[in-house]
Amino acid sequence: MDDMAGNKTEQATEIKETPKRHLWNWILCAPALTVLVFAASGPLLIVLVYSFLAPGSFGGITWSFSLEGWFRVFFSRDIFDPEIVSLNTAHLTIFWRSISLSLQTTIICAILGFPTAWFIATRPQHTRNIWLFLITIPFWTNLLIRTFAIQEVIRNQGLINTTLIRFGFIDTPIQMMYTDFAIFLGMAYVFLPLMVLPLYAAMDKLDIRYLEAGYDLYASRWQVLRHIILPLVKPGFIAGSILVFIPSIGAYVTPRLLGGGRSMMLGNLIELQFGQGRNWPLGSALALTMLVLVVGALVLYIRTVNREEEPRHG
Amino acid sequence: MTATQGIGSPATDKGPAIEIEIRNLSKVFGDGPRAFKALDDIQLDIRQGEFFTLLGPSGCGKTTLLRLIAGFEQPSSGLLQINGKAVAGLGPNRRPVNTVFQNYALFPHMTLAENIGFGLKMLGKSRSEVASTTQEMLKLVKMDAMADRKPAQISGGQQQRIALARALAPRPRVLLLDEPLSALDLKLRKEMQVELKRLQLETGITFVFVTHDQEEALTMSDRIAVISGGQVLQMGTPHEIYNFPAERFVADFIGDTNFIDAEIVQYEGDFAQVRLPGGVVREASLPEGFNARVGETVTVVIRPEHASLTERGDLQATVENAVFFGTDTHIHLRLEDQTPFILRRQNTGVSVAPPEAGQHACIAVAEGGIQVLRS
Ligand SMILES: Nc1ncnc2c1ncn2[C@@H]1O[C@H](COP(=O)(O)OP(=O)(O)OP(=O)(O)O)[C@@H](O)[C@H]1O
Ligand SMILES: [Mg+2]
Repeated sequence: MDDMAGNKTEQATEIKETPKRHLWNWILCAPALTVLVFAASGPLLIVLVYSFLAPGSFGGITWSFSLEGWFRVFFSRDIFDPEIVSLNTAHLTIFWRSISLSLQTTIICAILGFPTAWFIATRPQHTRNIWLFLITIPFWTNLLIRTFAIQEVIRNQGLINTTLIRFGFIDTPIQMMYTDFAIFLGMAYVFLPLMVLPLYAAMDKLDIRYLEAGYDLYASRWQVLRHIILPLVKPGFIAGSILVFIPSIGAYVTPRLLGGGRSMMLGNLIELQFGQGRNWPLGSALALTMLVLVVGALVLYIRTVNREEEPRHG
Repeated sequence: MTATQGIGSPATDKGPAIEIEIRNLSKVFGDGPRAFKALDDIQLDIRQGEFFTLLGPSGCGKTTLLRLIAGFEQPSSGLLQINGKAVAGLGPNRRPVNTVFQNYALFPHMTLAENIGFGLKMLGKSRSEVASTTQEMLKLVKMDAMADRKPAQISGGQQQRIALARALAPRPRVLLLDEPLSALDLKLRKEMQVELKRLQLETGITFVFVTHDQEEALTMSDRIAVISGGQVLQMGTPHEIYNFPAERFVADFIGDTNFIDAEIVQYEGDFAQVRLPGGVVREASLPEGFNARVGETVTVVIRPEHASLTERGDLQATVENAVFFGTDTHIHLRLEDQTPFILRRQNTGVSVAPPEAGQHACIAVAEGGIQVLRS
């Protein structure tokens, strides 16, 4: 930190960074820092400590060091002979489902969000706010209620199935509730605005003359999209992807209501350990595993995205 | 693809071939009560390989005309032909025309080399051809040392060169330049004027250049069209436009000018005898198609450098003040009828003293220095 501050003063030589000014900056930062330290790092630290302790018999923890919590993230012991160890396939399935569904959600949100954001960005200035406003309407209703509404649409006696049966396309309802598809649908619906908004912000800044220059230099509409628009709105895609992927991987309400007990995601598994499972150390270890997963995915993602940006020759 | 047809057609015909032909071209923005006529019945012939300038004040429709030629806008009515082919309905990617944008519009996510190669790549040229032409263009604009930089990492003047190279790389028939020098400081601007002219001569491509700077227009152009309020007021060589302005607006917009009322005494063909204030009768040239009437009072133009102070002159005046500019001195006078008159005297010798304020002076106008304006 000190080092960075030092660099900064070197670069911006016109701005005199007097000690007094320095202090003032810290005072201004203090409230935000306090919140961050106590509300984010504090609990995280507690979770970290818990993950290395043994579970209490009615929830909670007992203060004795144990690696069992971490061990159980990936492995399970035979009920009768604890010495027999096998991979915990149930957990691994949930990990995989979380990652895969979150990726799918991010991708579908990007695919659906791009034309939506483009549509808004190309409306006349005074009508854009109305469209943005419409995009945020889902946020006004409680997440639970919205998820129940989706249930109403896709359940066996729901809107889709009864309509299809009424018109004779199918005889028996298509099972959509309590499947991965239901979770995917629910998350895509809930998180779409989080993709549209940063994409719109990027497109709003996009100078129309770059597109004209592209057309002028013999690019077709498709080529302008591929070579000019997409690279220039990439920051919007990155921001949108991060905003969608992170809450997706930790989603709790949507998989709980739409996936039920059969299609669990990480959030539900963690909740289970702190609730019925009464295994707080395992829950903590799972939570931290998810954290590592998310950070790892982000680093990987941003690295690949930036590598593409490097000039190819030289 | 038509876009890359080589420049210069077989020299079968007599006069220079017409590259861009514009007939009765109008452009109306909006409709109903808010409709605005940005271009009003434009007629223009731009010749192959010439440096053609659209000159006019801000908002007169220069950019609009350029955008119509490029294909970014479609005309409301009229004909637009490029190389003998009507281009109505063709998008900018299907016209053999490239644009240098006012603020360059270099693609920020591409290197300079990628920017220059973009057009060729879109035309489906092979990798090696794109690479070699890009190199050639970088050399042409003297930027080959910076090929791998991004546009944000070079100066305004350098961006300007890259924008030029990018537009020239696909070898268009016509290059459109929308005030390409307006963002540069004076010194760089002068350098780039020379550079632009060199590029135009070297490539032989027809340049259509937009500016509101009359000096730039005069020094660079083969021909100029002066535009005001969406109409072409006059078209001609810099010499014709400067020395024989047909309208008050043209005379006023280009260079310093004196406007004087005079009476037509007699006329024949392109010339008339006019009586200047004070009674002296001199010969003046008439604008094309001018309907002269004997006894009519007209406005005549006299350029400041076509007048001099003498013992016995054409006009009587009083000196108001003299402003020293180094190479020349501007002498502000007032005629007997209180019309202001400005005269430019070249400082050929050090000893020439400026006239004193309040002094009486006689003004002599050089032969052919008087031009009648269309009223
Ligand atoms: N898309 C448009 N909609 C409505 N009016 C327009 C549009 N584009 C241009 N105009 C109007 O047409 C007129 C000519 O504009 P244009 O941009 O061609 O001027 P210009 O000669 O290039 O001026 P400048 O030297 O300031 O660039 C202006 O009055 C402008 O307000
Ligand atoms: Mg303009």
